[in-house]
Amino acid sequence: MMPAVFSVTETGAAKIRPEVRELRSAEFPAADEVWREYHGMAADPARDRTFAVFLDGRIVSLARCRRHPDGSMEVDGVFTPEACRGRGYAHMAMAALVVACHNDDLYMYAVESLTGFYAEFRFISIPERDLPPGIRERYTWAAGNMEGAEVRPMRRRAGL
Amino acid sequence: MQAKTATAGLPMNVGNPLAMSFSSTQNRIAIIAGLTVLALGGNLLGLILGAPEGLLPLPALPLSIPIILASYWYPRRGLLFSAFLAVAYAVTVFLLSPPDTQFALTILPRAVFLILVGGVVALLSTRLRESEQQMNEIIEFLPDATFAIDREGKIIAWNHAIEEMTGVKKDAMLNRGDHEYAIPFYGERRALLADLILQGGPDAGNPSIRREGSTLVSEASAPCLRNGRGAHIRFAATALLDRSGRVTGAIESIRDISDEVMMEAALQNAGRQLNTLSGILRTDLSNRLAVLYGHLSLGVMKFDDPEILSFIDDLNDAANGIRRQIEISREFRDIGTSPPAWIGVQQTVRNAASALAFGNVSLEAWTERLEVFADPHLGTVFTHLFENSLAPATGATRIVVTYHLRPEGCAIIVEDDGAGIPDTEKEGLFVQKPEGYGHGLFLTHEILAITGIAIHETGTFGTGARFEILVPSEGYRIV
Repeated sequence: MMPAVFSVTETGAAKIRPEVRELRSAEFPAADEVWREYHGMAADPARDRTFAVFLDGRIVSLARCRRHPDGSMEVDGVFTPEACRGRGYAHMAMAALVVACHNDDLYMYAVESLTGFYAEFRFISIPERDLPPGIRERYTWAAGNMEGAEVRPMRRRAGL
Repeated sequence: MQAKTATAGLPMNVGNPLAMSFSSTQNRIAIIAGLTVLALGGNLLGLILGAPEGLLPLPALPLSIPIILASYWYPRRGLLFSAFLAVAYAVTVFLLSPPDTQFALTILPRAVFLILVGGVVALLSTRLRESEQQMNEIIEFLPDATFAIDREGKIIAWNHAIEEMTGVKKDAMLNRGDHEYAIPFYGERRALLADLILQGGPDAGNPSIRREGSTLVSEASAPCLRNGRGAHIRFAATALLDRSGRVTGAIESIRDISDEVMMEAALQNAGRQLNTLSGILRTDLSNRLAVLYGHLSLGVMKFDDPEILSFIDDLNDAANGIRRQIEISREFRDIGTSPPAWIGVQQTVRNAASALAFGNVSLEAWTERLEVFADPHLGTVFTHLFENSLAPATGATRIVVTYHLRPEGCAIIVEDDGAGIPDTEKEGLFVQKPEGYGHGLFLTHEILAITGIAIHETGTFGTGARFEILVPSEGYRIV
């Protein structure tokens, strides 16, 4: 597989290095398998772009960007399996996603405890009413009580 | 007048054997009259001779046959005719049947039924004729010369454009058979594509005819057109089908492509000459460049002075630049010579990058699933864009390739964090010029334009260059 970030500045390294790239449609089931532990989430090749960190051919972290029918882009599914956490893989997956999708404004419902993590990628907290309607629908059940749902609406303006 | 009406109606009768068998007005009237007399006479005879009681009142159904025919052939008078027959039926049956109130009451619905049959058939027939009339008008005003033939090879349509092309009027052609339609083109009777359609298609080994879906297409020279000077013609023919899919005729359109053919030949000639000339220049330049490289190598060996060696280095860089320009001219010669194809962008970017020295500049490409329909020299596009970013003067440290889906298509975006391009230079960026910034971008523009792809520079001077390659909606796919 071809790395999305070409190693034009790298020299050969004996150590196994994580590879970050966007998944092809045929690889989506492998991502779904990893997401099984994460609310049983599944990606749709027609709407989603999924970015993965591979270590020795195995997915160790994922991040998804979904295009809604109104054209708005929602980031979710940022997930690293328990055993692989604490090594910066989620950071690598998110960094790939925000560069690949930087031409659009990105929105998300961030878990409260992770808002600091997303702030590193220039996501800022916004009132829920500022979310595009297609994205807001997902949390209609919370009836505006974001604190109760323990999520916070965030936005990243387009740009590198 | 009647005969003319019958002829003009012919195209509408394609695929209708009933109508084809009784095309003359006199025959039709005779048939309707005969059937009417038979049906009414049979009723009368039955009543006079005394039909069995179980059969009374005599059935109205036989009368519906002349009513259906009359309403179909003459829809405007169909209702009147059916009303007349219904009244005749009701009166005769009422007067000649035994007096019985209950029996008399059954006559009325039968008469109404006959009127209804006539009305419905007349309505449907009118609708059918309107639809056929619309179809005729469409054929008549097609911009391409068009004619149609029926199953027997008789001409049933000859539109205005073909009148203009051949100088032969519709009246002289309609209803003619025996390959009459070939005469204005070839001066003789011969089969055209429409005949091959009726015969079920061309011989498999005929290379001059190709099939595009259900259409046969062929190009040929027609010696009689353009006042006998001849013309290059593109024929295209397809079958006329009835509702059950049976071939009932064929329609053929003819386009004069003489100007295109001549233009193409002239361009090919010019292209050959230019290629020959540029090939000679390239070879000559390469030879002289080889001599220059030889001198530079000798100079490196001969001199130790750092200033002179630095000077030789500069000369070597300039010679490399000339070599690159020779390569560009070779690429330019080849663009457009191979057909466009679906190309994976990520692999193309990777290939283009592998031929360049990036030094400390990083390249990130996020186009993994994107394919575009482009000239096979798409890689050259990225090569030139990267070369511009990698020029030392830009000071770029990072190049990013992404894509952006938009209502009008997909933009592939190549951007860097260098100095960017001054606004004053943007306009002429993709224009051919011998020197200066943007060298090679003219070639980039030309390669993309082959498949309708546009390129613009949308960066802000001071923050980096940003090239947007806009692929039309039908020219990209996410796999």
